Amino acid sequence: MQNARDTFYVTLRDRLAAVNPARTIVLRGVTRPGVLVEENELASATVPVNAFCLQWTGLTVDAQGALPLVTMVCEIRYATDGDSGNGGMDRGRLLSGMDAELVAAVSASPQNTTKMNYVGAAGGSGLPPVAMATNVFWGDVVFGAAVANGERLERVATVEVFSYQEAGEL
Amino acid sequence: MGELRDVSIVAQRAADVLLRCGGGRKVLLRLPAPASPGDTTEQLGLAVPSFQDVALEPVVFRKARATMADGKAAKSELMVSATAVNAVVGSLGYSAANVLFATAFGVLIDEVLMEIESATESEVGGATYVYRLVLRAPLALMV
Repeated sequence: MQNARDTFYVTLRDRLAAVNPARTIVLRGVTRPGVLVEENELASATVPVNAFCLQWTGLTVDAQGALPLVTMVCEIRYATDGDSGNGGMDRGRLLSGMDAELVAAVSASPQNTTKMNYVGAAGGSGLPPVAMATNVFWGDVVFGAAVANGERLERVATVEVFSYQEAGEL
Repeated sequence: MGELRDVSIVAQRAADVLLRCGGGRKVLLRLPAPASPGDTTEQLGLAVPSFQDVALEPVVFRKARATMADGKAAKSELMVSATAVNAVVGSLGYSAANVLFATAFGVLIDEVLMEIESATESEVGGATYVYRLVLRAPLALMV
């Protein structure tokens, strides 16, 4: 399951970066594409704005087939205060822009990719990730209602991500 | 202009004296080391950063205005000398104090790591003389 999560995040990150290279965040002194997985970062009360924050929530496993089919729900939270130079009056437009970027990244064909194992690449080993035998595939993005929180506009979108649990995979 | 600068210096010195007299103590700000550029495994939680503790002094830690709600962790306040914060911001190369606090993993007080929930500042003449941090105790310590 973790390999499927990692693969989906890397794919989404690369696609979002291609759609809008200017959407970046600075995290621990490094500029990177404006997307992160909350559980992989330091716990913080700070809510990043103008970035996509992934949270893995739902999980179901269908063990009827030859390989168990894992369905995971990925919540993608994002928010914007608008541009301070515009007095925040463009926050609706900026949220709309983030909606469009997400649609472009998630719904771009193909909506699947080869599942990768990144464990061997950890710790600066220099080893590339290992391609696994099955694919990760996902549905279209489902948008929740936009919520106004003070001057901030927030939205939660969800994507269902599917993968097959391979033999020996944790 | 010169008067404003004088006023801000006086405010900073007065704040430092008040913090020292009001139970001034030292706490440690826990900062993660900078991330490795382009390291995907760090973004996947496979590599964890190292941390460094930086002393902040004088500060006043108080629970006098602590807010508690059922099922939620207690909150406390930490008043921090702007002189101390400015020294850390300058020496570690941060662009601003709010970046420093947003980057910090927490504040170590009596061996308890408390999360920074918000940071506000008080200023006079355009210069900050004290920072007020709202800290949240770990859920494990909830009673």
